[in-house]
Amino acid sequence: MSQKERFRNSRVLWCISLSLACFFVCSGIGWAETPREEVEKTAQHLATLLNVGRLIIERNQSLINDPRKGDKEFTPEVFEQQVVDEFFGQTNIDLKHLSSHLPSLAKELLPVLLQSSKEVVADAQLVINQRGIGYKNFIPATFGSQAARKFSNRSHVKIKQTMLNPRNLKNTPDEYEENVLKRLATQPASNTSITEWVDNETTMRSMTPIYYSQDCLVCHGKPRGILDISGYPREGAQEGDLAGAISIQIPGTNR
Amino acid sequence: MRGRSHTQKLRRRLKAYGSRGIFSFLIALGFILQGCGLVFDAVELVHPLTRDEMSVICSREQVRVGIAVEPFRPFVFPAVFTDEGVRVTGLDVELIREVADALTTYCGGQKPIVPTLHLTRFPDLFIEMNEGHLDLFVSSVGGNIPGARPVGLWFSIPYFHNGGIGAIIQNPEVAERVWEQFRKQAGKSDTLSAIQAGLSGLTVAAQKGRTSQLYAQANLKDIRLLICDSLPAAVETKDPRIDVILTNYSILDYVTKHVWPDWRLLTRNDGKPLILTQEHFSIVTAEEKRRLQWFLNNLLYRLEESGRLEQMRRRWLEETYAPTRRATTEGLPFEISKVPDHYDQGQCRVMGGQ
Repeated sequence: MSQKERFRNSRVLWCISLSLACFFVCSGIGWAETPREEVEKTAQHLATLLNVGRLIIERNQSLINDPRKGDKEFTPEVFEQQVVDEFFGQTNIDLKHLSSHLPSLAKELLPVLLQSSKEVVADAQLVINQRGIGYKNFIPATFGSQAARKFSNRSHVKIKQTMLNPRNLKNTPDEYEENVLKRLATQPASNTSITEWVDNETTMRSMTPIYYSQDCLVCHGKPRGILDISGYPREGAQEGDLAGAISIQIPGTNR
Repeated sequence: MRGRSHTQKLRRRLKAYGSRGIFSFLIALGFILQGCGLVFDAVELVHPLTRDEMSVICSREQVRVGIAVEPFRPFVFPAVFTDEGVRVTGLDVELIREVADALTTYCGGQKPIVPTLHLTRFPDLFIEMNEGHLDLFVSSVGGNIPGARPVGLWFSIPYFHNGGIGAIIQNPEVAERVWEQFRKQAGKSDTLSAIQAGLSGLTVAAQKGRTSQLYAQANLKDIRLLICDSLPAAVETKDPRIDVILTNYSILDYVTKHVWPDWRLLTRNDGKPLILTQEHFSIVTAEEKRRLQWFLNNLLYRLEESGRLEQMRRRWLEETYAPTRRATTEGLPFEISKVPDHYDQGQCRVMGGQ
């Protein structure tokens, strides 16, 4: 090998090294600032997990409301297992062994939401296990409100269930949420979230729609205005109507 | 050096005085200590060293209130889950709020006195109170029924005095038996005789420790008495078949309308309410808590005077409402003590010897 060739080879090696160094440095900057895709994906996973929790409560509703049974054996651990299985079925993500391919923000927040949801079921044990009492108001909506509140108190991310005319005034939509809910109400049913960056692109806001299922109509269906079992006037809704949305706010620079 | 010489001096003096000196010193000390008790009492009079129960509540910023886990609708509804967490509501709970608000004012109004509810089984309320874990309890407790006031407890003036012990039945023949007795009296109304004869030989359920049990044991000798852990337990029992359930009339009036429509109130021949004996509900606290007792009596008197108690009674007994919604908007959280995770209403047992 001539001296000229050797010099050329060393220049190529030096360029490769510099490119690799640049790549690692840039990746480092990316982690520090949390890329938008990571934040958006995390919001999507969080909304799915809260929805899965609601779904598990809905599936166990007749057990929870069974007045003939005392101990329902619907423990926080049983709830957790059902959530883990359902979440895996919907997303292919194992909450017990979070994959390294997941965004780091999601890896940080999903266990917090799962733990918050479990704690809500633990808090409700006395109510759930009362024998002789049917309706206990432990339903997807009340579960969701509490789980979202517990989670929001523990993280920099805000989750809230909201709707245009909420029964619980704490779920009243803010201006942004109200506009999105109005938009969703006019669109055909879809499971796709609406995700936007607001406040000079510093905050991500995501709204995942929730639609009334047949089970919901016992309290929210027709005839409109007649009081349901919990004492609220029925909304007169039909299956597939927009029930509300899971609203998530994540600040862009979170660390 | 100087200290050592002092000790040596003292030793020398003690040796000089001998045992006689030490004896005289102890007698003198005894006389001085005898007066200490008087000095302590005098100081206590001027500046109390032990704080009274009201000051303790103010400094704790909490009033510890016991409430029965067994539902006595509409006084206490079963705990429900709300958007705010687990809550309990009812007339008794609204009264507890009034007590807490009045305590806040009494304590200066700077910081709210928070009512901490201890949800526990009815018989445990008395134990918890005696053990000093509660400041008071409000749980539809009748204070005027013989045998209802355990030693060491004090009962306030009534906050609910329109009620009494009533009865519910499923079989119309039971009502017919009682009405027959009233008819025999030919206008000279004697409820006790009519009930004694009318219920003779029947299976009657009463709740353990409640005034209905005391009434049945004292007055209904010819019945088969079943003692149940709770009212729902009595309703659920199928074997033996229960003919009559006794408990507070207002509670029975509510549950036959809203919870167990298969049961109906036992009335007089003309359909008017049949009250077996009058019963007034009181707030309960410990016998020695004089200041708290006066505070509670004065508060209840003021609430009666202002019409607030009457408004509360109407709100819970006459209005149409959903307890769950009221639990969400005005219910109180509670601490669960001595209630197992899978609390159930218990069961019924035949009273021994009857």
